[in-house]
Amino acid sequence: MRAESPGVRWTGLLLALALLSNACAPLMPPPGRGTHLRYTPHEAATPAWAQGPGEASTPEPEGPQRLHRRQGTREAVTAVGPRGEETPWGSALAAHLAFRAALLDVSGSTRGLSGELSRLRKSHWGIAGKAGLFVPHIEYGQDQLRWLDAEFAAATRLAHAATEVEDPDMQRALLRLAGPRLEAALLGSLLLAAWVDVLHLLDVAFKQGYNSLETLFVDMDRWRQMVEPAMTALASREPGQVEAAAENMPALMGYLSGELNRTAQRLESGLRNVEKVKVLAQLMELVTMRSALKFSLPTLRPPAPVTLGVGMVMGTSGVMMGTRIVVSAEWVEMMQRLVREGVLSLPAISAAVRIQAGQMMMAHGELPRGVREALGDGPEVRGMRVTDRAGAGMAERPRHHVMPQEFREWFEKRGFTGDMDINKFCVRLEQAHHQAIHGGGNWKLGRLWPGEWNRMIMKTLRDAEIEAGRMLTRNEVLDIVGEAMKRYGVPMKFVPWRGS
Amino acid sequence: MSDRHPFQGNWVARLYERVRERGYDSLTAFAEARPTASLVALAEELGPDDVAGVQVFKGLVAEAERSRRVTRLVRSQFVRELYQCLPDGWPTVMDDANRFKVAKALGFWSSFTPETHEERVTQARAALRATPPPPGWRPLGPDDELLLTLLPDEEV
Repeated sequence: MRAESPGVRWTGLLLALALLSNACAPLMPPPGRGTHLRYTPHEAATPAWAQGPGEASTPEPEGPQRLHRRQGTREAVTAVGPRGEETPWGSALAAHLAFRAALLDVSGSTRGLSGELSRLRKSHWGIAGKAGLFVPHIEYGQDQLRWLDAEFAAATRLAHAATEVEDPDMQRALLRLAGPRLEAALLGSLLLAAWVDVLHLLDVAFKQGYNSLETLFVDMDRWRQMVEPAMTALASREPGQVEAAAENMPALMGYLSGELNRTAQRLESGLRNVEKVKVLAQLMELVTMRSALKFSLPTLRPPAPVTLGVGMVMGTSGVMMGTRIVVSAEWVEMMQRLVREGVLSLPAISAAVRIQAGQMMMAHGELPRGVREALGDGPEVRGMRVTDRAGAGMAERPRHHVMPQEFREWFEKRGFTGDMDINKFCVRLEQAHHQAIHGGGNWKLGRLWPGEWNRMIMKTLRDAEIEAGRMLTRNEVLDIVGEAMKRYGVPMKFVPWRGS
Repeated sequence: MSDRHPFQGNWVARLYERVRERGYDSLTAFAEARPTASLVALAEELGPDDVAGVQVFKGLVAEAERSRRVTRLVRSQFVRELYQCLPDGWPTVMDDANRFKVAKALGFWSSFTPETHEERVTQARAALRATPPPPGWRPLGPDDELLLTLLPDEEV
């Protein structure tokens, strides 16, 4: 990728695309997905992991097709037009499409990881052998898949619920509820990809006859202790914990890739005695083919110094580091939309990009400004965060149920359970606003109509049921609640209930 | 940013200031000039960020109470609710979707009714269920004939 001269540039682009297609596995869609939302170029025909030793992977010829597909689908995603000239409908729809696309990416990568973990579990000549010493680590990976799948399913359900409500503001509000789930699944799948890389390296080494188990066993234990807290935090669903884990993840991934690097070198010198080093070099290629850690790993060839010291910039093809595409422009666009709509948080997305960029960026605290802006950073997004945290010394505004807790059972009967529990539908209000809504404060005008929120909302819902002659559906309840929120000037932004 | 909310400061003064700025001497006059506008639309016209629909309604109730024209206000509110959910009038086909639209309109009408008139509204709703209005019925103001038979003035 020393692509300074024009002659080499095309090759460089092809290579970059090919690398991208493999390297961004956790962020990219799965193979063979039958949807037109395929706006990222990634689609490995066969997972590199599944290939046998010696089958060199040559993805370059697919480059032009991918490029083509990418352009085609880019139009589909941007058809709604740039922000600013959109109707509320268009913008909610675009956010929704972006969300679905992001969901598909994550589900594709977890499915790939799931397949790989089951394969490793059966690798009796490799990591599943050795008297089962390393089996718990495979199972640990499989355990993580369970919560990842659960988060994914929850995010999908909420996204689905969002399509069913009519009001665009309520649609966005539901997507925002789903955002943290998607975020946790996205970061969790990156971390799990790294874990699978470690397992895979060991698998390859064992199959090649590497036999010094003690050090590896101790190493594995240590790595797991590094990974576990982050995984637990991501699985916790606590926004604060997830955010902290996101901020630490690039450093953690950097550390893991360093460790993997050292281990690979050690395995190499261990195998050199049995003259298998060439095979191992090839296998390292395969190991890292779809890895989240790929770019931070040694190639066991002279490393390309080109990227050293090259900062990340936002280019037309995406986030570039030198001539390498870190993440595609489509991915950036999708994330920008979700960040601007308040569905995903910038710190989590930044972490994902830094991890994709590799070790050098993992060490740095923040992405370059241009890249941050492309991902949706801006005064209004930062403002959103500050008011979210009720920043600068202000006490956090109290949270209030929009669907009164006293009538929890009534709402449960109409489908407000699980991800749609009434506890998920709280809002933060200023004290004066809250008092006014509940009939206190400076709410003196028009005493014949107290307009107290809880009484009003329950009367509306109950009388609507009398008129309909049946129970309202969950979406109908949300429709009415959304309208009432507008009448009371309550911002359509839900936060989960915390404490009492 | 966006820390503004409709209940900040003296919102009653703000509400009337905006009404006067638009050339009306009462909220009722402002609202009656827009007989089919929803409460949210009225509020947005008076202040997109700092006036809420409930405040407009509060003001309308207070004025109607003083002028003893609460029943008229209740009829006006019926027009707004029905127009918001069913801009083409009472549905021709009462399918599930239309049934919900009627239910939503009448549900809000019921909750956006001064306490003194709750009983009458309950009766009016029962009458509408027993004898549905003709399809396409679309009252455009508080003086609609059918609406007046449902809720005749008693005051003054």
